Amino acid sequence: MASADGGAYSFSLTTFSPSGKLVQIEHALAAVSAGTTSLGIKATNGIVIATEKKSSSILIDDSMLEKVAVICPNIGIVYSGMGPDFRILVAKARKSAQAYWKIYGEYPPTLVLTQEVATLMQEATQSGGVRPYGVSLLVAGWDATRGPMLYQVDPSGSFWAWKASAIGKNMVNAKTFLEKRYNDDIGLEDAIHTALLTLKEGFEGQMTEKTIEIGVVSVPTPAEGETGKVDTATARPKPTFRKLTEEEVRDYLAL
Amino acid sequence: MSIMEYNGGSVIAMVGKDCVAIASDLRLGNQALTVATNFEKIFPVTDRIYIGLPGLATDVTTLRERFRYRVNMYTIKESRTIEPSTFAHLVSSTLYERRFGPYFIEPIIAGLERNPATGELSPYIAGADLIGCLNFAKDFVVAGTASDKLFGVAEGLWEPGLEPEDLFETISQTLLNAVDRDAYSGWGAIVHVITKDKVISRTLKGRMD
Amino acid sequence: MPGTPSIQRPTQHQFNPYSDNGGTILAIAGADFSIIAGDTRQSEGYNIQTRYAPKVFRLTDRAVLAVNGFAADGNMFVKKVKQRLEWYRHAHAKDMPLRAIARLIQTMLYAQRFFPYYVYNILGGIEEDGSGAVYSFDPVGSYERETCRAAGAAQSLVQPFLDNQVYFKNQVPPPGRAHPTHLPLRDVLDIVIDAFTSATERHIEVGDGLEMYIVLAKGRTLQGVEAAQEISARTDGERVFVLRRDLKKD
Repeated sequence: MASADGGAYSFSLTTFSPSGKLVQIEHALAAVSAGTTSLGIKATNGIVIATEKKSSSILIDDSMLEKVAVICPNIGIVYSGMGPDFRILVAKARKSAQAYWKIYGEYPPTLVLTQEVATLMQEATQSGGVRPYGVSLLVAGWDATRGPMLYQVDPSGSFWAWKASAIGKNMVNAKTFLEKRYNDDIGLEDAIHTALLTLKEGFEGQMTEKTIEIGVVSVPTPAEGETGKVDTATARPKPTFRKLTEEEVRDYLAL
Repeated sequence: MSIMEYNGGSVIAMVGKDCVAIASDLRLGNQALTVATNFEKIFPVTDRIYIGLPGLATDVTTLRERFRYRVNMYTIKESRTIEPSTFAHLVSSTLYERRFGPYFIEPIIAGLERNPATGELSPYIAGADLIGCLNFAKDFVVAGTASDKLFGVAEGLWEPGLEPEDLFETISQTLLNAVDRDAYSGWGAIVHVITKDKVISRTLKGRMD
Repeated sequence: MPGTPSIQRPTQHQFNPYSDNGGTILAIAGADFSIIAGDTRQSEGYNIQTRYAPKVFRLTDRAVLAVNGFAADGNMFVKKVKQRLEWYRHAHAKDMPLRAIARLIQTMLYAQRFFPYYVYNILGGIEEDGSGAVYSFDPVGSYERETCRAAGAAQSLVQPFLDNQVYFKNQVPPPGRAHPTHLPLRDVLDIVIDAFTSATERHIEVGDGLEMYIVLAKGRTLQGVEAAQEISARTDGERVFVLRRDLKKD
């Protein structure tokens, strides 16, 4: 059992305890549980990922904070846990997506990118001189092979696909709430509202466009798929993941 | 002496109606001396992608193995078969890795591309130079020691919308007549016609001199 | 440096008297006619010097000569051949027969064996027996009579196409039938135009314009070949016509 001080097996190296636990990873999960709540919901025509954004002081300029990150035009991620660790993973995930693009001329499917990030996080549980990442991730993306997919990655490097999931402080309550609200034919608009309602459950203080971040995956219509993956005007891949602007978030909150 | 002409050999690919064809000669030479007359330069990548590798024979073998490895890794990692356009980029990046010490191969790719939205298969061909600069042609691509001859004949014989049997005849006549004017290519040919439900492969005899 | 022996050599200058002006020529013989064609682009490297420089010339009413390679040599060579043919007319009061012109060209080319005209010649016309003929030459006079021949920048593109379409190479005739030894005029014209549009598409030195000279044996007519301009001196013997077409200019 992980005692308050971590016990005899809580050195910086991740080492098995005699009971077969990696206590460092449990500590990392504790760090995640201390972080602000994030959640994701898969809808029939897209995915929403959302998080609350809390700053420790009103003096902080919260426009600097970014918790929902675009990795490549078809994938975005959100986290709960330690901000600095997340930043590193975002940088590595973006590099990985670009490396994939350089080889195949297209961006990675959500599963491949998730696997890549999960591998990075696993390596931190087995390498010398490092600690596990103190974050859990929700990866949302769209690709032609598997369509819209929502994955959760934990500090251990394990990952699963979800229809809806929550991580962070209010994870348990939020999941219970989502279980009640979720159904298989929910639309993207409904999903966004459900996401906001779920966040509201455990929210401390005022929910505004400044304290909420939302990312959305939208599935291209068959007609859009027909015309191809590239925007003819910009010659760039058409994005299927995007972050909602503050104005859009405000509009959703008003409803 | 150009290294591209050391072993000889030529490849061509053509687009037809809902089908593609790729063909090569069978000669392996040591400069002017013919060493073998059964040297195939075209290899299957998936059920509906073929790649032709004309150029230095030792690099034919090496690249064939490298592409086999990289496509197998892709198939396992992504649990899906690679599409021709993706494979073309893979070929391009593999060749560009050796920008300053290239493989002496000018690959030709032919396949049927699946539209993810509609599931339809559409013809796809591409050529590349030895450092991986891709050429996506709508009609035909050629490479090898008889490339200029292939260009001339193909430009004269090819027309849009050829059915598999007519495409077979067109690509065969183009290749045979082009390699007959090339000392480094010839000694028979092999032709693959890729259609949505099968691949037709035929070995041809040409002027055996 | 004082005391150091000088190893400096005098600077040498070299003049290269030759150039390659691109373009392509082609001739095909029929049973009782002959077509001699050439594009009209003249270039040096990547520069187009002119879009209209003829490479095909009427020598007599039964002989047309196409010259390709170094344009200056080509023009001078044609001038000298024409001069020799005029002398022949003065001495014999008739035009020189085609086979004799072919032999004359060999002699004239070989005379320059050690400073050759940098020119590939194709001579087309009608023999004394009334058959269509094509003679092709290398720059030093080696020649042979053929049914068809391409030369010049796009020779490698055009010749295998001609092998296939004129000689029916790699084609098997239906059982009990044989390939024709000579094609009709209309078919030959179509093949020539196809060959040049193809060469124009894939070779930068070929394009702008196409000139096709048609030489007809005595007594035969154009038979529906439109808009050919007659340039023969007399109309009661062999006759020569020119047909012009535009080629792409890019």
